Amino acid sequence: MLWLFSGLFAPLPSDSRYGAILAIAVVAVLRDAGVAPFASIPLPQNRRQVPQDVLQRDLPRGAARFGFELGTGVRTFVSATAPYVVAVALLLANEGPLVALLTGLGFGLGRAATPLLRYASGAGEPWDERLRTRLRAITVSASGLSAVAFLVLAG
Amino acid sequence: MNDAARRWATDPLLPSLGFGCVALVAAASWPVLTWAMIGGLAGYSLSGSV
Repeated sequence: MLWLFSGLFAPLPSDSRYGAILAIAVVAVLRDAGVAPFASIPLPQNRRQVPQDVLQRDLPRGAARFGFELGTGVRTFVSATAPYVVAVALLLANEGPLVALLTGLGFGLGRAATPLLRYASGAGEPWDERLRTRLRAITVSASGLSAVAFLVLAG
Repeated sequence: MNDAARRWATDPLLPSLGFGCVALVAAASWPVLTWAMIGGLAGYSLSGSV
């Protein structure tokens, strides 16, 4: 969807589009790092959880519904700014459908990494605690490394 | 794999570093891969949400 609308921005110079992406990425880093006043910028989201009973009524259909609602943001809590930076970047960069597709696949890989790593640790609850203590570093590094990557891509 | 090695290999920060390193290394030659890794960073950054 974002790639479809990205054509609207194609007439703008590439430098301007990537400049805007970088500016938004920097704001994201400051927001995720808790720097005022950026820390108080609200993220658009539907702050509701998917009810657990969707999994109890019909597991395969419930799992599909859970994944759809979570993955598309119909009902989810968004705890990081990086996804919005990526969405804006895809919209402004106008890089082509393959880039949009692979970015989406990469997003899915990133989402899958959490439960996979937790399972691989063999100790779920201690791993959860380690994740909790590293969450700020994870969110800040996501937006920060993305900003650096966009800077190199713009070059 | 002993416990210490397993603990290191499954550190929650590792995916962030992995995605980030590949994104930056690939940026000059394979920008499409960089975009995919940026997507990975964004997806993994939601580890704290449901």
